[in-house]
Amino acid sequence: MTALSEIRHHPKPLTLAAYAAGNLDEARAVVIATHVSLCAACRLAARDYESIGAACLEAVDPVAMNASALDSFWARAGKQERAMAPASAIAANDFALDAAHPLASYLKDGLDAIEWRPVAPGLAQVVIPAEGYRPGVLRLLKVSPGVQIPRHTHGDEELTLILRGSYTDEVGDFARGDLADLDGEVLHAPLAVGDEPCICLIATSAPLRFRTIFGRLVQPFIGL
Amino acid sequence: MTAPGPAPRAKTTPEGMNALLLRVAGDADRDAFNALFLFFAPRIKSYLMKIGAAADLADDLAQEAMLRVWRRAKLFDPAKASASTWIFTIARNLRIDAARRAAKPDLDPNEPALLPDHEPEPDQLIDRSSRDEKIRAAFSALPPAQYEVVKLHFIDDLAHSEIAERLSLPLGTVKSRLRLAFEKIRKELGDCVE
Repeated sequence: MTALSEIRHHPKPLTLAAYAAGNLDEARAVVIATHVSLCAACRLAARDYESIGAACLEAVDPVAMNASALDSFWARAGKQERAMAPASAIAANDFALDAAHPLASYLKDGLDAIEWRPVAPGLAQVVIPAEGYRPGVLRLLKVSPGVQIPRHTHGDEELTLILRGSYTDEVGDFARGDLADLDGEVLHAPLAVGDEPCICLIATSAPLRFRTIFGRLVQPFIGL
Repeated sequence: MTAPGPAPRAKTTPEGMNALLLRVAGDADRDAFNALFLFFAPRIKSYLMKIGAAADLADDLAQEAMLRVWRRAKLFDPAKASASTWIFTIARNLRIDAARRAAKPDLDPNEPALLPDHEPEPDQLIDRSSRDEKIRAAFSALPPAQYEVVKLHFIDDLAHSEIAERLSLPLGTVKSRLRLAFEKIRKELGDCVE
């Protein structure tokens, strides 16, 4: 079996549909795009939702183009080179997360070049600029093995994609490529497990709400 | 050029669209491209006007979308997506780009597209054309209430809460209508429903 088949946690159908519709905020879209680039099953499902989008587009009431549109189109097209077929495609089973296409465009030098900002013992983060026209917050979080994030909820959906390492919480065990698609009510306290730090890509739309004394103390430092 | 109506019915099947786009890809066939343009450009214009683009801007952006179709036609692979789905993703990505530029006019124009074409495809053998034909038939057969929310989501670019507001429905009702619609479509594909 390939590494891809090990992915056990996937986005909810409505999340994947919103991604295919182009309706997610930029932070969530990056997280889903990265998961989709790694997960064959979700790639197929996303393509199905895009086909629903195509069916919707075909069913739209057309608005007549300007009378000169086709002429001006060919005037524009004549000036431009057409693309050649791609020389090569990334191997389908490439599981090198640093090379995952959607995220690579935001982290040009990869995960190892990140300048982490420590926020608490065993906890570091970096905020990635991804503020599209819909507000959202995208960040990377690095949690040392054995460190537990204070119990919290989100007030809104949170998407967490595991890039390295693994964690366990009330929802299940999460490893590379797994995506936690949590709604606002889920209360969880992820614990990083294994030998290496757990690096997660997280999209939220609202500040995290901690529910423990430790959480309330640590929240201002984390800025989550 | 007169106002274009729908292209001949035979051409609007996924296979008919694929054949047209493959002629564009292989032979730079302008007649085939014109048929695609006449069908899709007025719909992409309509799609862009749904998010508030003025008619002239939408016209210009629809031409830009079709320009991407023309320039990238060689990258089209019917095993990965039908022509119609491929063109939808181009229009959708262009709409996202346009909305970002409107929100942040000083954005670096060289910044990579938010939603790149998916790179690797699963090594599964899927007949995308017949799959898309089933999806389209199942979509057309949805009950009106479900059809409406799917269209508002994909075409009008409304989030779940915005659909709820537009239709004066509880958020839960909107989500369950979408879920039911997608489950129905998946059933027609013969996939097991979660």
